Amino acid sequence: MRCLIFSDDADNLKEIISYFYKKMDIDVFCNSEVLDYGANNVYKYNDGFSDNISEYLIELYNKNKYDYIFISSTNLGRQIAGILSDKLNEKCMPEIFSFENDYKVVTKRFFYGGKSVLTEETDFKIFTVAPGIYEAKKVDKRSNLIDAKLKNSRYKILSKKKKNTGGNDITKAKVIVSIGRGLGSKENIEKVMPLVDALHGEIAGSRPVCLDYKWLSEDKQVGLSGKKVKPDFYIALGISGQIQHLAGIRNAKTIIAINKDKNAPIFEECDYGIVGDLFTVVPKLVDKLKNN
Amino acid sequence: MDIIVLIKQTVDMDQIRLNENNEVIAEDLPLKTDVLSKNAIETAVQLKEKYGGKVTGIIFGTEKATSSMKEAYAMGVDDGYIIKGYKKSDPIITSKVLSNKIKEIKNDLIILGNQSSDSYSGLLAGLLASELDMNLLSNAIKIDVDGDNVNVTMEAEKEEITMESKLPAIISVAQEINEPRLPNVMKIMAAGKKNINIEETDVKYENDDKILSDKAPENKRKKIIYEDGNGIDEIAKILKVVK
Ligand SMILES: Cc1cc2nc3c(=O)[nH]c(=O)nc-3n(C[C@H](O)[C@H](O)[C@H](O)COP(=O)(O)OP(=O)(O)OC[C@H]3O[C@@H](n4cnc5c(N)ncnc54)[C@H](O)[C@@H]3O)c2cc1C
Ligand SMILES: Nc1ncnc2c1ncn2[C@@H]1O[C@H](COP(=O)(O)O)[C@@H](O)[C@H]1O
Repeated sequence: MRCLIFSDDADNLKEIISYFYKKMDIDVFCNSEVLDYGANNVYKYNDGFSDNISEYLIELYNKNKYDYIFISSTNLGRQIAGILSDKLNEKCMPEIFSFENDYKVVTKRFFYGGKSVLTEETDFKIFTVAPGIYEAKKVDKRSNLIDAKLKNSRYKILSKKKKNTGGNDITKAKVIVSIGRGLGSKENIEKVMPLVDALHGEIAGSRPVCLDYKWLSEDKQVGLSGKKVKPDFYIALGISGQIQHLAGIRNAKTIIAINKDKNAPIFEECDYGIVGDLFTVVPKLVDKLKNN
Repeated sequence: MDIIVLIKQTVDMDQIRLNENNEVIAEDLPLKTDVLSKNAIETAVQLKEKYGGKVTGIIFGTEKATSSMKEAYAMGVDDGYIIKGYKKSDPIITSKVLSNKIKEIKNDLIILGNQSSDSYSGLLAGLLASELDMNLLSNAIKIDVDGDNVNVTMEAEKEEITMESKLPAIISVAQEINEPRLPNVMKIMAAGKKNINIEETDVKYENDDKILSDKAPENKRKKIIYEDGNGIDEIAKILKVVK
């Protein structure tokens, strides 16, 4: 079996290569030098767009007769997956987080916004891969680096702005203290920081907190459209536990929730919960942690 | 400017119930307009308000989609087509049906959501752009039209990218681009009386995808819940391993 992987995000790319390493022969098309994760050939491009990248991928696919194409589900990746699916007239299975091909291909993905998991058997050739499919691991094998020259694109970039990022990568954190709308205001973040510090954790948040109110930077958003995290402890403060948020914390080992509403859905999805006002519970918890 | 907006109707996912085997009971669920489709409608209507022109909505759905089209009318969509025959999430089929219709309607811009709330596939924009050979811009948070150019700021993973493209173009929008308006009663009443064009598709589904299971994700959480001021000691003890 041979596959071609496309990603414009080095972190996602490493995860995907590691997931398929030793299961099939891997060639990669990307814009980073990811050479020690187990791919055979790494075709590296600079500054590509959906049109010229798709064109190059189609040429590679036709030349090397890959069995499968895996595309990381980034903004650019999804554009390219759609274009390839149309141009190659092959169906694309979106957003998979599991792939097996014992004798038939069986994939898994979330459906209904995370409410269910679809396990499907298909003969599809193209897949987009949800972030966080596997832990990236370096291997001894070194990949061939090939310089990929792209044709001219019909698109032009006018400007780029790096997004605000707030330091550490939450997907690597062992302890995450995550805040929701229940925190009330940005100023209240300092009231929960003692807990973050006591546990040497990272702070993260729900979508409204990161995207709508910008109390935290966007790279701290946990959930279906944010980061999928896998800490030992995930402590949810004032988060209701909507399905799109839960989709980001399924791989947390232990989930602890503090919420004043006894009926909040987060209490159905946690290991330990305290029904109460986070502004009284958190200081008490910090005291206990410090005094022990 | 002639704008087409693509609108999906999905089941109301908050109403989903599970049977005793943890499987989704999909029948008879109430329907609603896909979240991102509403942002797409709002985008299209705002562009019309700013630059003039007409907005045409297209839904590939079932006969029940009239409720979503009426909602779109109330928000400011001028004309609407419902293509009946939608059976399941199959992006290639959806793109064939929609592109067949799009080819019949004059347009400078096609607006749709970046990822629909049920399937989350995000494939439609690329499929349509390729099929219709149109310029593609995705996950937009800002759109400015200037003559036959469009400048679009797109939300990528680690940066915001502003790109320039010629019209016609197909643009998918992110949820952050706007807050969909809530139409007043007058608009809702007027929308109810407006004509909706209803058509049928002859595009056929293939049976090439076998669902082995459709279950809620496993929940093995302990669910130990403390009330009335209890639980601090217990949780502090559990967290002690961290230090
Ligand atoms: C397509 C799509 C994608 C999405 N992706 C994501 C995603 O990736 N991540 C995400 O998080 N959301 C996502 N959402 C949004 C999601 O549906 C919810 O709206 C969101 O998760 C709610 O955030 P919240 O829990 O902070 O706020 P709320 O739902 O408002 O919950 C606030 C909670 O705080 C509690 N509270 C209030 N005051 C206190 C107090 N003093 N002490 C203790 N508890 C208190 C309340 O009881 C309530 O339960 C997405 C939605 C859509 C449609
Ligand atoms: N059946 C449909 N009819 C009309 N528009 C659709 C349909 N399915 C998807 N769309 C549009 O395409 C967007 C992205 O869907 P998807 O690519 O399937 O995630 C949605 O937000 C809608 O705007």
